[in-house]
Amino acid sequence: MPPVSFQHVSKRFGGATVVDDFDLEIADGELLVLVGGSGSGKSTILRMLAGLESVTAGTIRIGERDVTALPPRQRDVAMVFQDYALYPHMTVRENLSLGLRLRRMPRQEIDRRVGWAAATLALEPLLGRKPKQLSGGQQQRVAMGRAMVREPAVFLFDEPLSNLDAALRAQMRIEIGSLQRRLKTTAVYVTHDQVEAMTLGDRIVVLANTRIQQVGRPIEIYRAPVNRFVAGFIGTPPMNFLEGRLHDDGGGPVFVADGARVKLLRARIAAGSSQPVTLGVRPEDLRLDIATPGAGEDSADALAGRVVLVERLGGTSHVHFDAGQHRLIASVTHDPVPNVGDAVTVQVPAERAHLFGADGRALA
Amino acid sequence: MRTLRRVALYAGLTLAALTFIYPFLWMAATTLKPPFEVGTLALIPERPTLDNYRTMWARAPFGRALLNSALVATTITAAVLVLGSMTAYAMARLRFRGRPVLQAVTLGVLLVPGQLTLIPLYTLIVQLGWIDTYAALVVPYLLNATAILMLRQFFVQIPQSLIDSARMDGMGELRILFTIFWPLAKPALAIVAIFTFMGSWNEVLWPLLVVRDQRLMTLPQLLTVFALGGGAGSMGVSLASAMVLVVPVVVAYVFLQRYFIESMAGAGIKG
Repeated sequence: MPPVSFQHVSKRFGGATVVDDFDLEIADGELLVLVGGSGSGKSTILRMLAGLESVTAGTIRIGERDVTALPPRQRDVAMVFQDYALYPHMTVRENLSLGLRLRRMPRQEIDRRVGWAAATLALEPLLGRKPKQLSGGQQQRVAMGRAMVREPAVFLFDEPLSNLDAALRAQMRIEIGSLQRRLKTTAVYVTHDQVEAMTLGDRIVVLANTRIQQVGRPIEIYRAPVNRFVAGFIGTPPMNFLEGRLHDDGGGPVFVADGARVKLLRARIAAGSSQPVTLGVRPEDLRLDIATPGAGEDSADALAGRVVLVERLGGTSHVHFDAGQHRLIASVTHDPVPNVGDAVTVQVPAERAHLFGADGRALA
Repeated sequence: MRTLRRVALYAGLTLAALTFIYPFLWMAATTLKPPFEVGTLALIPERPTLDNYRTMWARAPFGRALLNSALVATTITAAVLVLGSMTAYAMARLRFRGRPVLQAVTLGVLLVPGQLTLIPLYTLIVQLGWIDTYAALVVPYLLNATAILMLRQFFVQIPQSLIDSARMDGMGELRILFTIFWPLAKPALAIVAIFTFMGSWNEVLWPLLVVRDQRLMTLPQLLTVFALGGGAGSMGVSLASAMVLVVPVVVAYVFLQRYFIESMAGAGIKG
């Protein structure tokens, strides 16, 4: 099946740029997730690929074909909408088959495909019902089925799980993922939920302010975010940031902030010193200990803090604490979990520290 | 206490209903009465007769007028629904240059009283040579600003994703309008249809201006000419002709009434 490519695609509405120079190739059978906040342009990119939105500049190809100017029906793509967009006055069967009937497909083939989709998605008992009579999860499945029967070159998902409650969302996320892997159909999935992005995507595109911030496998993006935005966007709870300066006092580079000193690995720091930088560290990478009076207080790479909030999730606890002027979070999986008001010391492992320059870019 | 209040309420309502329906029933009954019974207030004729209808039918071409009215009103209603919903769809759902102007003009048309355009419109029809033609009766009413705006109001509420979805399924705009919007907009279409049909059915002034040939006259026009011109001769015959006018409207209303009742909830998209 053909891959998709965006070549320097931009979209402007009046004077406002919504998508700026989006350039990307999607591999055959890949599930690509576009993730970003509102206004990042992710939905517009999807709608341009669908043909529902015109392209201001650039080219979109599906396989060998330039589809930039083609109407949706000639693009061989199928879409699952956030609100499902099922036709309320048609039965499930009619909803599933409409796109095929409009393409004048032989009846037998329509029946075969509808039967296959209904069996795959456990919709068989519901074929005679109207969308109103279905639960949210069932409507979601019909929406998926409607895309499946088309057997398109590319599946498009526009925040398909946003309207479901948490439990159903987790379940449908797994179903979508396993279905896509089984069908091996190239898919583009738009979401604002970074958990969906991490769990579903073969690759993730992080978007912000109309531009691509980073493209990569989920774990790459998690481990090596290229800038502060991506670092803060991907991961729950979000990465901690401390504002400070870099010093090199001969014994290797050291990050110094209000009440904090963190030794860093020499290899990761560019030459030059005393520049303002941001240190980022993920909550699960912090090593937090309840402070014992009189010991370790001026340890070279430890922060001293005081616990202000503890969220116990069962296996993990999120400990919120103040260190100097910074409010930080540590994920703690071991006992004892400190209590509110406890003094704690926190180690920042040098190999897990991320450094960002004044412009927000990661310092390699 | 509660039952008592309920009884009083129903008694009041029944009385009100009777007040409204009595004159109508009396009219219906009187058409079946011989001339010497017409003066009574009774609802059941002592000696029922169809003479009034026979006389009426014999004196003027009411059958033809009924057919004319049906033809004119049906044509106009169909056109208003089809053309009006097309215009409303474009206004509600398509982006094109000049849309705001078009909307403002459509709204503006509502502010112009019909009497104001009567003379210019008449002059136009004369110059087109359409006097004494069906075109004169039908063409000026093919589009209707009220209908357009009502339908537009309904169409803007239909979720965009349904249109997107239909486009992805391979539909063109006309198909989206007639296979997706129309079924969802049934209540709005029914209301527009009823008002348009009744408006057209009851129209007297315009036909009086542009049609003089009795064979082209619509029912209310012929009735007016007949009753006011003294052609009826008796109250029973006048009322019989009025009955012929009103029955089709009542039938149409009964036929379309259920669409009023069908709630808008049926058009919702989420369960």
